[in-house]
Amino acid sequence: MKVVKQSLAMENPTDLETRPDCAVIALNRVTREYTGHAGTVCALDHASFSIVAGEWVAITGPSGSGKSTLVNLIGCLDRPTDGELHIDGVDVATMSATELDRFRADKIGFIFQQFHLIPYLSALENVMLAQYFHSMTDEKEARSALERVGLGQRAEHLPSELSGGEQQRVCIARALINNPPILLADEPTGNLDAANQKIVAELLQDLHAHGHTIVMVTHDPEMAALAQRKIALSHGKVFCHPVGGPMISLRK
Amino acid sequence: MIALTVSAAVATALLTLYADLDSKLHREFRSFGANIVVTAADSGKGLAADALEQVRASAGPDAQAAEFGYAVATTDRGTPVVVSGTDFSAVQKLNSWWKVDAWPSSVDPNSALLGQRAAEFVADERTVQLTFADRPIVLHGVGRLHTGGDEDSRIYMPMAVFRTWTGAPPSLIEVQIPGGSAQVDAAIARLRQTVPGVKVAPVRQLVEGESRIVDKTHALMYGAVLLIALTVAVSVLATLSASVLERRRDFALMKALGGSQSTLMAMFLLETLALALGGVAAGFVIGSAAAWAISQLNFHTATLPHLGVVPLVLLLNVLIAAFAAFFPVRVLRRLEPAALLKGE
Repeated sequence: MKVVKQSLAMENPTDLETRPDCAVIALNRVTREYTGHAGTVCALDHASFSIVAGEWVAITGPSGSGKSTLVNLIGCLDRPTDGELHIDGVDVATMSATELDRFRADKIGFIFQQFHLIPYLSALENVMLAQYFHSMTDEKEARSALERVGLGQRAEHLPSELSGGEQQRVCIARALINNPPILLADEPTGNLDAANQKIVAELLQDLHAHGHTIVMVTHDPEMAALAQRKIALSHGKVFCHPVGGPMISLRK
Repeated sequence: MIALTVSAAVATALLTLYADLDSKLHREFRSFGANIVVTAADSGKGLAADALEQVRASAGPDAQAAEFGYAVATTDRGTPVVVSGTDFSAVQKLNSWWKVDAWPSSVDPNSALLGQRAAEFVADERTVQLTFADRPIVLHGVGRLHTGGDEDSRIYMPMAVFRTWTGAPPSLIEVQIPGGSAQVDAAIARLRQTVPGVKVAPVRQLVEGESRIVDKTHALMYGAVLLIALTVAVSVLATLSASVLERRRDFALMKALGGSQSTLMAMFLLETLALALGGVAAGFVIGSAAAWAISQLNFHTATLPHLGVVPLVLLLNVLIAAFAAFFPVRVLRRLEPAALLKGE
């Protein structure tokens, strides 16, 4: 592991540019290739950008553009084939699998499109599961996390007894429970109706207002519009990456 | 859990029965009668008067022995018939397999037991008139004997009456030694050493047959346990694999939440171990009950639960679970949370 050395090159959009004092995610010519029977496919091609602490970034792009690959890399579920990927100042590209597991538990909170709650565990137990893999379980803290997302009264309910919106809120409570510096939301409203989309969007806005860094993959222009900036991907290349600036809200 | 319970139950039942098998089979074989025959060394002479006592002393307190004297008499119909003097109470214990409708009582010294075919040689079964060397005797036939062998052609009477009537000494002692062929061989050696002037011979077919059957039964039980263990292992393997494949998204999520490979493996193996232990607990109860029922049904004696089989059953179930966990563990090792959580 090594601390990132970041440079500033605003003129060249392919180069990394950030400020060492506040960049929480920094990619420097990150490439991810997959080798299969049909040959090698480059899912992410020399991607470089940075995201500063407290920023809300929307990653957009058509299917097959490399969004999932990018999210997997930022979420430490995968490692780049080439390039440098720094999360919270640490080069994760060089970490072992065990180190990545530990690092992921500390630094990343996942919000999934399909919620991914364990069906035989209650909402409370699902939140406590993240505590278990991080350090140790604390029921009181888990209850507060559920109360924070408005589900204090539904703590004992199984996922099957909750609506889609409620399940997504449990997922958000689980993502928040270990207080990670980065929230990684993959299509967080993709499976929700309009009313629940609004609730989740408001929750994300609230979390952002409280200083959380949010990286959100979305196809939804309305959700993308809530973010401070967009990172657009096409054919594995970052083609539009307004440089992360200081904490300036771009929202109207 | 069900498969592991079944394996533990079958193993418990078979091992519990196995623990008692030797004694039970030997007991069953004892019901076939004598396994040693003692005759006079000089075939012209009978056995010494104290031969039975010496044989009993040498054979041990658990052995059964009965002496027999033989003579050929003539019935009131003029048919020659073999008459045999013996001790009915000793014979009853020795040859429990004999089919007898009524045993002569010790109260009536002249009571007799008529073999199935011998009964046809006399005019009146109740009043059996016989002659030996011009000496007549009247016996009271109280029951019929059916063995399917030579005994069916004989008339049995109390030894004391036989000796007084014929003057012939006992010529044969049948001995039944409890235990397997090793015990029988040891008893034969002992009898040859301690009882002089006799020929001691095993009832070879019975002793060797018993040994063969006991060995074959052991092999059969081992084979059954092995086959069932293998079947259960495959069944548990399929169940655990299905369980892991069904829950691979859950495991992927746990990995995404920071669960390390070793933690997830430990969780899965612990779960499998818990299933194996639960299976042993339930299987021991069910298997012991099954062993009791089987024993009661086949040997007419109860087999009590043997705590001694628990370590073996536990070992067997843990081995089955370990074997069955092999494939699911490989699935867990190759788990790719990114793809699974994306729904691929």
